[in-house]
Amino acid sequence: MSALLEVDDLRVEFDTYGGTVQAVRGVSFELDRGQTLAIVGESGCGKSVTVQSIMGLIPMPPGRITSGSARLDGKDVIDDKRIDGKDIRGRLVGMIFQDPMSSLNPTMTIGEQIAETLQVHRGYSHKRALARAIELIDMTRIPEAAKRARQYPFEFSGGMLQRSMIAMSLACEPSILIADEPTTALDVTIQAQILDLMRELQRDNGMAIILITHDLGVVARMADEVLVMYAGEVVERGSVDDVFYRSAHPYTLGLRAAMPSNRDDAAQELTPIDGSPPDLFAPPAGCGYFARCPHAMRACETEHPRAFELGEQHRARCWLHHEDCDVAADEVFRK
Amino acid sequence: MVAYTVKRLLQGVITVWFIATATFFGMHAVPGDPLAADKEVPPEIWANLQARYGLDKPVPEQYVIYLSNMLKGDFGISYTQQNREVNDIIAEHFKVSATLGILAIVFAAFGGILWGALTALYRNRAPDIVIVFLVILGISVPSFVFAALGQLGVVNINNALGFTLFPVAGWGTVQHMIVPSMVLGLGTMAFLTRLMRSSMLEIANSDFIRTARSKGLPATRVFRKHQLRNAILPVVTVLGPSIAAITTGGFVVEMVFAIPGLGRYFVQAVQQLDYTVIMGTTVFYGAFLVFMVILVDLVYGLIDPRVRLE
Repeated sequence: MSALLEVDDLRVEFDTYGGTVQAVRGVSFELDRGQTLAIVGESGCGKSVTVQSIMGLIPMPPGRITSGSARLDGKDVIDDKRIDGKDIRGRLVGMIFQDPMSSLNPTMTIGEQIAETLQVHRGYSHKRALARAIELIDMTRIPEAAKRARQYPFEFSGGMLQRSMIAMSLACEPSILIADEPTTALDVTIQAQILDLMRELQRDNGMAIILITHDLGVVARMADEVLVMYAGEVVERGSVDDVFYRSAHPYTLGLRAAMPSNRDDAAQELTPIDGSPPDLFAPPAGCGYFARCPHAMRACETEHPRAFELGEQHRARCWLHHEDCDVAADEVFRK
Repeated sequence: MVAYTVKRLLQGVITVWFIATATFFGMHAVPGDPLAADKEVPPEIWANLQARYGLDKPVPEQYVIYLSNMLKGDFGISYTQQNREVNDIIAEHFKVSATLGILAIVFAAFGGILWGALTALYRNRAPDIVIVFLVILGISVPSFVFAALGQLGVVNINNALGFTLFPVAGWGTVQHMIVPSMVLGLGTMAFLTRLMRSSMLEIANSDFIRTARSKGLPATRVFRKHQLRNAILPVVTVLGPSIAAITTGGFVVEMVFAIPGLGRYFVQAVQQLDYTVIMGTTVFYGAFLVFMVILVDLVYGLIDPRVRLE
């Protein structure tokens, strides 16, 4: 059986006054039904642009998909470098965003905003859509759903709003839920509740989740598979265990070293990654991580690393895995 | 809501009282005399006239008398026009000014919202650039210039048609009203267009528009149900002050188009120091504007659920 979503060599550019930004530079991945895929990486690495391209949400112009394909359920969603997203958005793929406070229309009731999706995609009558909206609100464990449906976003707390967003994105029972940093704007206890809710609904509905985050704790808790993105590319991908315990890219190691842990050695210092990401107006010819990599070699500056196969699902774009490399990859990664 | 309305109306009454007081003392501080005539008047007659109109009393006493009359709804009689009560002047001529003003504000609001939305949709393309240029013209060119140009245009249209479609001046029929109200509303329309444009662009980039698109709504529905309504809110906010701008601008346009509105009496009264007419028109306009601003605020509470009228 083919994967639910297959993205192959996706490239996205944006024209700006300063030149053309190559925001996504050849991203490929697959997502299976019922699975959770986490995309991690620092700000500006192309996480959001990747998923928004698949949804047809990037403004074109200035955005441009220069190559690549995406197949959802075996059907091409990128046609002639344009996306006709109306069948995808809301119906096959639901999406929730970072800041629930500003992601809902302030002058429309929560119930109306949820019902709207059903009216458009399912052709429900206004009354029927509203009744279903109340059920959906109830499903996301918001008490007094009927009363809440008649309220406006300003009457909700941040956590409640994110629950409503989830209810809205799941209204048409999509096969994929894309969550773009869904818990970044929420406080920690609410974060946990939202993540638990997403997992519960996933178990009930069998939907796949694409979770964009830069919180590795969230990844460990939620994901089956992980994509690590850097400078518009996937530098490492694999199962959660592969990426966390058998990290195969120096950037992944850098991310892990910068993450606090709750092990006994509480005095452990966090090590930031020095430097800043490369300029995507003129991406480097070699490895994007070259300038910041403690293990950089001469080849890394000029030769673009290919993805080395390290396990069944595990891939990493790093020359250290080349058989002719003088440095034993094991010494770098098995510390 | 009711408590809020009552509170705002009480505040409005205080505002109007303040306007009346400031105008009264300001007016009396101006040198000159409403009864001054071209011809020399014997001092005895002049003193009699002063006594007849109560102008011989000290100003604070005149103030108290005036306020008590005003509370009874009596604005007095004009000093310079034969046998006319200020109430009659207002009753007769305010209708005209109000009609002109309402037409102008409707024209300005609809035009502003329409052009503003259009420029935002065609951002940085030809229609946007042209309209934004016209908007700058509309804001910077004073209304008497537009009034004169409007008349010139009317003359040309009539000549081309061979009959009088729009009269150049005067008042009475719908044809009389169209051009002056457009001229009067033009500046405000330009201002509202600019406001609506920036509001639309701000909303277009907001997170909830992205959410609406991610739900797969058709572009027209996103525009109508999510963008437009939120973008109009700032426009509604400035409608109150805009009514003030249109009313004061009305004096000039009434003058150019020879419209028998209240504005003309207002200006004339100031020139002739016609105390009762100055007071009557100022207090009346003041009260009218205060009331309109309150009305706009109440309407705003109906449109934006976040606004609680308490």
